[in-house]
Amino acid sequence: MNYQFNWSVLWSGQSGGWLLHGLLLTLAISVLAWVLAAVLGIVSGAMRTVPWKPLRVIATFYVEFFRNVPLLVWMFFWYFGVPPLLPRVVQDWLFNHSAEFWAGMFALGVYHGARMSEIIRAGILSIPRTQFEAAVAMGLTTFQVYRLIIVPIALRLIVPPATNDSLNLLKNSSVALTISVAELTFQARQVETYTAKAIEALTAGTVIYLVLCLGIAAIMTRVERRFAIPGLIARGG
Amino acid sequence: MAPPAIEFKSVSKWFGTHQVLTDIDLAIAPGEVVVVCGPSGSGKSTLIRCVNGLEPFQRGDLVVLGESIGRPGVSMSALRTRVGMVFQSFNLFPHMTVLENITLAPVRVRGLSAAEAEKTARTLLERVRIPDKAENYPANLSGGQQQRVAIARALAMQPKIMLFDEPTSALDPEMINEVLDVMTDLAKEGMTMMVVTHEMGFARRVAHRVVFMDAGRVVEEATPEVFFAAAKSDRAKDFLSKILSH
Amino acid sequence: MKRILAVVVALAVALSLTPPVGAQQDTMAKIKESGVLTIGTRTGSPPFAYINKDNQWVGFSIDLVEQLVKPAVEKEVGRAVKVEKKESTPPTRIPLLSANSVDLIAGTMTDTPQRREVVDFSLTFFYTGAQFLVKKGSPIKGVNDIAGKRIASQQASTNAKIIRERYPQAQLREFPDQPAAFQALLQGQVDAFTNDGIQLAGLKAKAPNPAEWEIVGDFYSEEPYGMAMRKGDARLKAAVDGGLKNGFESGKYFEIYEKWFGPKGELPYPLTATVKAYLLKQIGK
Repeated sequence: MNYQFNWSVLWSGQSGGWLLHGLLLTLAISVLAWVLAAVLGIVSGAMRTVPWKPLRVIATFYVEFFRNVPLLVWMFFWYFGVPPLLPRVVQDWLFNHSAEFWAGMFALGVYHGARMSEIIRAGILSIPRTQFEAAVAMGLTTFQVYRLIIVPIALRLIVPPATNDSLNLLKNSSVALTISVAELTFQARQVETYTAKAIEALTAGTVIYLVLCLGIAAIMTRVERRFAIPGLIARGG
Repeated sequence: MAPPAIEFKSVSKWFGTHQVLTDIDLAIAPGEVVVVCGPSGSGKSTLIRCVNGLEPFQRGDLVVLGESIGRPGVSMSALRTRVGMVFQSFNLFPHMTVLENITLAPVRVRGLSAAEAEKTARTLLERVRIPDKAENYPANLSGGQQQRVAIARALAMQPKIMLFDEPTSALDPEMINEVLDVMTDLAKEGMTMMVVTHEMGFARRVAHRVVFMDAGRVVEEATPEVFFAAAKSDRAKDFLSKILSH
Repeated sequence: MKRILAVVVALAVALSLTPPVGAQQDTMAKIKESGVLTIGTRTGSPPFAYINKDNQWVGFSIDLVEQLVKPAVEKEVGRAVKVEKKESTPPTRIPLLSANSVDLIAGTMTDTPQRREVVDFSLTFFYTGAQFLVKKGSPIKGVNDIAGKRIASQQASTNAKIIRERYPQAQLREFPDQPAAFQALLQGQVDAFTNDGIQLAGLKAKAPNPAEWEIVGDFYSEEPYGMAMRKGDARLKAAVDGGLKNGFESGKYFEIYEKWFGPKGELPYPLTATVKAYLLKQIGK
């Protein structure tokens, strides 16, 4: 028994359209979730380092709570757990307007926000405390110090680990298929179901993810170069 | 006589159970240049950091430019705009150019326009003798240049008082004088200055008064002439013999 | 990815274990020698095959083997035969068969043209088809009422495929597993859940309040369950079909059906006239 490769299944029929559709949905959910994760990560990561305990407690709670529960559980939480808390009319509207997409986006964004928070906190803690003092001594408020000095420096320092987590976010977006988001992995499976060509479908999915990841890594490298702090990051060149 | 620019009244401070400042009484007049010296761990850096509120203290009172620090309702941010500080480790912001470092606070805190702030900044860079480094990033400057930018940055807020916390300790010997020269100019212009330093030559030439600290107390204060010629306390003599012998 | 992976593993197993043409052992000869008929079945698919509360491996499919197939095989080999059961899941069952680990798959396997290219199927022993599980009073009464409605299905199922192709106006929501799809129905994320009728009957029975739900619509797809054997295993197929045929003729099959799917059975799922006629038609009646 020899496996008969038939790569044309990927562009004949509906396969190509499905994969493209899946790719677009993967990009949409990942980009939105990434923005959410970045905002949550920066805010909570900064909050964890401020000299005011209640803020630190809130941010720590957020991070530990969301980081230590599997993403799959969060997917179900946002899809099954949250809608019943809303008025029936809102629920119906949501269910007719891609509730699964938004639930998946929130699950992914909030979960990765907690991970991003850790990265940003580590970045902030690696900045000498005296930088903060110097800024405060000039009369800047704590908020201004974070906005103008601490966070901008931290963001430049954390590009490599943040890239890593961004790639994880992209790959984790496939978990959204558990709540019926028809993203890339879903569509690859669909192709497999329709064509019974598992290896071709699997390969197509893999190659698309690979290209996306390499693309993101390339963009992030450029970002790192562009915003490198002279003298601080050697490979910024 | 004008009220003191800075006045410590029985200030005491503890780190946990360890007392680092004990009943400090010290008044600094407007335009006065005071050098604070003493062995390491004597509390001199802690003392100077109290003046702009970087270190809180537990007992006593500290009045800076007529405002009592640490009392509720006193805006530290507002006070800090009138008290400039230069640190041992320069602390320039590495992601900003020299010009951006200097104009940041004037624009963000004092609300100057970018153009005004830049004009002032360039004047200050002339004054600290590095007008051509405006567009450079800190990492591309020598230590001495960085410290001079730090001084310009503090001056950009037009402070009434300048605090220097060991400004030359992190510098290579050949760069120390370029920084001290700028500080000397500043003193001559009548700036109220509190300087923690081991540079006894600077103290001798520029200071109006030398304050010697040990173990969290002000042990001795005198004019440089008196202090260097005839220190009264054994601890000051011991300190001077060590620091001047090399 | 798990499913794709399973397929790849299955392929790899199949590739490495398919015996060369001509070397195939005759299953009946093996059974005659060992006195053992090994079946691949399920542990968690009540009421077809499952391990019950008393830790016994039982079910409708297993009863059919024990009471109809086993006697026919015994008659053929001329000795007492013991039925041995092994766990086989959808991704592993064909490889297990190819590898001679089991001789007969008797669980919940649907007889499809694609599978017929790889294995042989017995007579159909159970017949179901896609229907809809809805809240009682729902405007959905069948496949013609689903335009614009949110319909949950199991991902990669034939039902999903049919709906996508023939009823594109429905908003299809595909879930990778049955519990998630069912939960979506319970909470109102979807208006109906479509799956094989028998599966829906099982879900309905497990719902917090079974009376609130109903199964509606004619079968819009056909899901005949058969027992699978290695391709070309003619003597075994003859014995299995013979046993089933006997069961249909004697009425024994319908007794077993009643035991599991009758009103007092494990999962009530009455035999409709259409289905009964379909089953009997196989033996020319």
